[in-house]
Amino acid sequence: MRTSIFVLSIIIFLLFSVISISYAQDAPEVSEQGKEVYEESCAHCHGVEGRGDGSAAENLLPRPRDFTRGLYKIRSTESGQLPTDKDLFDIITIGMPGSSMPGWETSLSADDRWEVVSYIKTFYEGFKENETPPKQISLDGKIPYSEESVEIGKFFYTQFACFECHGNAGRGDGTSAPTLQDEWGFKSWPANLTENWNFRGGSSTEDIYKRFIGGIAGSAMPMFEDASFGLSVEQAQRYAQLENKVEMTDAEDEEFNQLDENMGNAYDILDMMTEGIANDEQKQKHAEAMKVFQEKSWHIANYVKSLAPEKRPEPAIGKNVLRSQYTVDTLPTIDDAVWDTLEASYFPLVGQIIVEPRQFNPTIDSVNVKSFYNDTEVAFLFIWDDRTNNTEEQETEDFGKTFVDAIAIQFPVKVPQDPTAPKPYFLWGGKKAVYLWQWKASAVNSVTELTAKGITNAEIQEVQGDIQAESKYTDGQYRLWVKRALKTDDKKDLQIEQGVFVPIAFSVWDGANGDIDTKRVISSWYSFVLEPVPSSRRFIYPPLVALLSLGILVGLRGFVQRRNT
Amino acid sequence: MRKPSLFTICFVIFVASWIFLRYIVGSLISVPIPNSVIVMYMALILIAILVHISVEDSRLSEFLRPIIETLVDENKKVRRIVLVVLIPLFMLGYTYTNIAQKASPPGDPRDAHPSPPLELTYKDEVIEDVENPYRHLEKDNPEEFKSHVENGRRVYYDNCFYCHGDHLDGQGHFANALNPLPANFQDPGIIPNFQESFFFWRISKGGPGLPKEGTPWNSAMPIWEDHLDKEEIWDVILFLSEYTGYSYREVGH
Repeated sequence: MRTSIFVLSIIIFLLFSVISISYAQDAPEVSEQGKEVYEESCAHCHGVEGRGDGSAAENLLPRPRDFTRGLYKIRSTESGQLPTDKDLFDIITIGMPGSSMPGWETSLSADDRWEVVSYIKTFYEGFKENETPPKQISLDGKIPYSEESVEIGKFFYTQFACFECHGNAGRGDGTSAPTLQDEWGFKSWPANLTENWNFRGGSSTEDIYKRFIGGIAGSAMPMFEDASFGLSVEQAQRYAQLENKVEMTDAEDEEFNQLDENMGNAYDILDMMTEGIANDEQKQKHAEAMKVFQEKSWHIANYVKSLAPEKRPEPAIGKNVLRSQYTVDTLPTIDDAVWDTLEASYFPLVGQIIVEPRQFNPTIDSVNVKSFYNDTEVAFLFIWDDRTNNTEEQETEDFGKTFVDAIAIQFPVKVPQDPTAPKPYFLWGGKKAVYLWQWKASAVNSVTELTAKGITNAEIQEVQGDIQAESKYTDGQYRLWVKRALKTDDKKDLQIEQGVFVPIAFSVWDGANGDIDTKRVISSWYSFVLEPVPSSRRFIYPPLVALLSLGILVGLRGFVQRRNT
Repeated sequence: MRKPSLFTICFVIFVASWIFLRYIVGSLISVPIPNSVIVMYMALILIAILVHISVEDSRLSEFLRPIIETLVDENKKVRRIVLVVLIPLFMLGYTYTNIAQKASPPGDPRDAHPSPPLELTYKDEVIEDVENPYRHLEKDNPEEFKSHVENGRRVYYDNCFYCHGDHLDGQGHFANALNPLPANFQDPGIIPNFQESFFFWRISKGGPGLPKEGTPWNSAMPIWEDHLDKEEIWDVILFLSEYTGYSYREVGH
């Protein structure tokens, strides 16, 4: 008896602790502490009154959240719902990748973060009125990642018209991309789905799923609507197949009409559901259709997940340094499949904020580079994502003022002889000059040689060497191919030697983002090398050493044997 | 179980020492020990082993016994054949990887905190104060001191936090593309080691104002005297220590 009372009290105790833990999920009462932490750590971006208008806000894109509207992008709740306290807590803890919101786990205690959650909720009345907890998105029925699911997801990506903003290849280059604005009238670019390290709400399949089930409030990203509501995955695919047929047989025609009718019925039921007049059978049907919609959404989430690498590539330093590969043949042209055999070197880029006018809100993340060389020439392939193809300066009502897209590849004129020798200043040189290849989208197949002694002090070289260039813009991505002789007669040119590490840096301009002159994205100095042809010694010495060690072993045995006798 | 032979013990000690130096110490101090240092230590250990086994004749012969047995004994044939195959193969692989190794890019020897020039200047104006002219307010007029710190906070978030970060830890949203990385003011080796005048110099002259050993061509730190006035620079210096809780090195220390 006693033991059972003891056990019972333990169970009760455990239950209570579980309950108190779940209570702790909710933010505490508003306190002076929350206000203090907010004003110390948050107000300089989000503003003292939470309007997203702190002193740093002007130079940030996306803008800091305006808490007075109750529109929260990253939520675990359904469309139109407020976030849960835990959602707000998580954002503060983890931060928002790709924006200027860092995670605060290291500098604010969990207690402080909860206090801030309570405090920012006071900026919006809606949180007080809302007594019932917001409805959370169910993650039931998750479809595991598979090639098959990715294929189905790709189909619905097209059918749900995701490409209109995010582009065919997911690079955020859809036709409506340049026109998008958020609720506050600020420019809002659709996400480049191939760079998932910039996803504000995280890059797991669940995160992606939540973003389009719940929408991204305040942005142009809506809650998803099922473009084939009421149809199963197979039916939706069949429907699209028939829809694209030029001529249908009678049977097909009938099938098509049947599918069309199913869809119509599903929408009718949806209307009745919203009016609240649906009967039990209709409710059942609606629930089924919603389940299929969720299934389709999981497939899309898997497809979006498949578009990006596992993690952000490592920058081209150390073992990832750009190594131009030797080939005895003529160098590959821009479309040669042999480029696919090389792994690209990744050069992250950053807004130029040193010299006015500055670029605080860059749109270009990085440039990827591959290279081959032979005995006389070197060829490079520069690849970078840009959501729009701006080939001339323009001013339109829709897009505002835009400039020409461009890239400049920078080298020193003279390669420093040893690691301690000075290089030119990384921002287009200074006292020491840099040698540049400048390409502009207004002249797609030519590169101009420049010499610069400072970011505002560049001039076109009088003697333009024989540099071949070709470029292509497809699905939100530029590919620029450049080929030049290793040695030239021009003293202002870089001379390239095998095995010598040459400093290299980049400037890239996105015309649609207002980039021109000093307003651009830049990199610091990196280096590249014409990878020496592997020495043939590697086939001679190792076998010799192996033979020698074998000889020593045999000799040793002979020696010992002789001594023993 | 048989007691391990002297040879086995020496062999295990030798290999274990190498693993300890190469992997364990490296991960403890988070910087791997240079190869040359490891070679030196290993040579010492080898000498110690040799001394140990050669002190007595009996010990030497005990040490050599398993080697000789392996080389000639009829019932150690399997072991012998395995070693005769493995040792040359190992040498083959080892020499091959050494020869085929790719050239590594030159390191960038950089002194992150070089000595400041003898004369502190703002643009061309010589600054006589080596102390922060607003520091005394901390005692004399706390209210006014607070307003300077607040102004410093504004300056920081308007200009610095893109690279040096919200937490002053050098992890701003622009930091990942920079090399060298922005300074981390939360590092206990930064603020307490320098006087406020050093910070004034580094901020006003930026990357290009560094001496050669600081590789001025690499640093993305702007020349802030072009954008900020003197008071703003002194104020942001106050803010850095207020936020992190570290005190600058005092003048004369």
